[in-house]
Amino acid sequence: MIFSAWLNASMLLLAFLFLPAQTNAATLSLSVGDIVAPDMSMRGIVLGLDDSGAADLTIAALQLQQRTFKNLKLHCVEFAASTAELHCRQGRSPQFPGTAFDFDYRFDRGEWQVLLTLTAAAAQPYAQWLPQDMPLPNHGKLDGTVRVAGAKNGLSIIKADVRASELGFSDQAGLHAAENMRASLRLDAQNGRDGWQWNAMLDWRSGDLFWQPLFLRGGLVLNGTGRISDTEFRVDHLSAETAQIGKVELAGVWQRQRGEFSEYSVRGKQIGLEQLFADFVRPYLDKSALAETSLSGRADVESYYRDGALRSLQLTLHDAGIVDKQNRFALQGMNTRINWQPENATAALIHFQGGKLLGAEFGASQFELKMQGSAFDANLIPLSLLDGKLDVRDFHLHQEQGNWHWSFAAALGGISMERFSQALGWPAMHGKLAARIPRVTYDGSEIKVDGALMFNVFDGTVIASQLRMADPFGRAPKLSGNLDMHELDLDLLTRTFSFGNMQGRIDVVVKDLQLQDWQPVRFDASLFSSAGNYPKKISQKAVQNISSLGGAGAAAAIQRSYLRFFENFGYDRIGWRCVMRNNVCNMSGVDAGNSSGAYAIIKGGGIPAINVMGYNHSVSWKELVTRLKRVTQNNVKAVVN
Amino acid sequence: MNALIKTLTSFFVLLFAFNANAVDLEVNSPGVNAIKQSMQARHAQLAPHYASGAVGISADGMVALRDAGAVPLAQRQAVNALVAAENQDRNALYAEIANANGHPEWQAEIRSTFAQRWVQRAQPGWWVQQGGSWSRK
Repeated sequence: MIFSAWLNASMLLLAFLFLPAQTNAATLSLSVGDIVAPDMSMRGIVLGLDDSGAADLTIAALQLQQRTFKNLKLHCVEFAASTAELHCRQGRSPQFPGTAFDFDYRFDRGEWQVLLTLTAAAAQPYAQWLPQDMPLPNHGKLDGTVRVAGAKNGLSIIKADVRASELGFSDQAGLHAAENMRASLRLDAQNGRDGWQWNAMLDWRSGDLFWQPLFLRGGLVLNGTGRISDTEFRVDHLSAETAQIGKVELAGVWQRQRGEFSEYSVRGKQIGLEQLFADFVRPYLDKSALAETSLSGRADVESYYRDGALRSLQLTLHDAGIVDKQNRFALQGMNTRINWQPENATAALIHFQGGKLLGAEFGASQFELKMQGSAFDANLIPLSLLDGKLDVRDFHLHQEQGNWHWSFAAALGGISMERFSQALGWPAMHGKLAARIPRVTYDGSEIKVDGALMFNVFDGTVIASQLRMADPFGRAPKLSGNLDMHELDLDLLTRTFSFGNMQGRIDVVVKDLQLQDWQPVRFDASLFSSAGNYPKKISQKAVQNISSLGGAGAAAAIQRSYLRFFENFGYDRIGWRCVMRNNVCNMSGVDAGNSSGAYAIIKGGGIPAINVMGYNHSVSWKELVTRLKRVTQNNVKAVVN
Repeated sequence: MNALIKTLTSFFVLLFAFNANAVDLEVNSPGVNAIKQSMQARHAQLAPHYASGAVGISADGMVALRDAGAVPLAQRQAVNALVAAENQDRNALYAEIANANGHPEWQAEIRSTFAQRWVQRAQPGWWVQQGGSWSRK
């Protein structure tokens, strides 16, 4: 457009060549009037010709499509104009250092051609000729040639063979920018009846590119052909190849008016998943649970999309893996061959070598994944978790109004608490872990556990019911539910937490438990001796520890009495209640307390017997936790009596 | 007209709430604490970008990447992610404070109060958005 306008103007210019003008022995200087054409005007045109055949053209102001370029100068080493044609050879302009312009125009056919020969040409001056809303060059050198040709009906050929070094460009916001780019581009585009047919090869060897939100480093070769019309941008074939990802073949049609793909296909073999995910997928996942994951392994993929939906997907995974940086989950050595179609039910066998779930390792296994449209099911996913097993049953994943929903049931068995607590970084616990999880569902915002979740720990049972977790992937997930613990073995429990030995069994009931960011917000907890006959003993150390939870003074009292001569005491009942509201724990004991306000936490029985009394009815939850930590930390070497 | 009614309603809700001393902007809950801690940890990373003008305090209680060109190219993706994470936390903070006050419907008013507060507390040299345009404090 720019060149054709310039050439139309040149026709008019030629008419002035034969007008009377100021002359001297060596040069002919023509001052030409203003030239005004649609979308273009030239003002203050001066053409100077000398007898060696050279020419100097000066345009004081060139206005092209509402943009003005001032004081343009072009020196042609060889300039000729006749009634048939006009040409300029080895044209140089101080505004475009390193660029030689060759320019031809034939008046009879209206054909024109501009050839730019670039020799370490500065890229930055070309910014003013490009649309200002696109990234514009601001640094770098160009070598090579660009040939642009056209006729009366406009531009018809663009051929470029250009090498760029230290190229930088940026848009105004800096969101699409490059630095230090070394690349070569070969472009051959011809304008025909159906629009522009193009063929291009870009070899981007080094340098950095930020194309929000992607940040890419050089080492990419693009090679493709296609067509551009008024309505669509068609890629008949495009191959993209990098050393770490491999070669991906693409084709597709971009609808220019709708601003979307009407169809595309992607095909690749042995694609490196790690770099593909890190460079092209993860930057788009900044708000999801997968934003902190990395992939490994390779994949073969072939997919086809048309009119708003994926029509087919063949995916073969070769030792693929996924790892969460926060160590919540990992799956390694995944191999499968998936042939997914939207209309037909298909199935795939998925093998994997092992992985981790919340720090606990599981071994190799396999399961069958059934697929029907956007619904995925697995009847059984057996995992050998630590020294036991976790069977995930009736797994179902589907998409509903743009959100993924999932559900499953699970059974956990045969896992030693020693291994489990070690894996989770907890104090070493004893016993076996077994649990039945009737059904867990996620509806896009809340995880809900239907029925009761049952664990067998400390030789007793823990039942968690009405569990709900809101905003599970947010900054501060909220968990609510009830806990019922029955007949926990105090011996195992106190050994685990280095509390000083107690023997007996307790029940713990926690109602209306609400946690936010894993910190308690409210609950009603009560702890009391289980019903039944069993030995009930408490060591002096444990008595001291319980007493010290009530404050420093109470702990010292026992040391001053004759009780210090006994290692163990008998008790009849244990009872402690805490109603936590607004960070304060309101406490009571076995009974409502006596007239002085003291309440029994441990009611003595047998010989020697001891009563442990509580005097404070309320304590800050934070303070209580600090005291509990102090007690358990001071007793790192367990006192087992 | 609807916008006017909405604005007036918001104004009266806010006026009533503040006069009644019902909105506790400093309310303490584990959720608020978790979000504040996350924002405080991020602040050290964002501060140089406030100072350089790359990131500004926007009028809607968020932060915005207003001049990516002020950030070295190789860091632009990371700054972009910082801004996204900060805005995610700010949205969560306004919702959480409204919830902790027992009035989830006050979220918009809390956001606009915070928006003014962020602008007031911006350090000299930082860029803030007021009345639709950016200026250097």
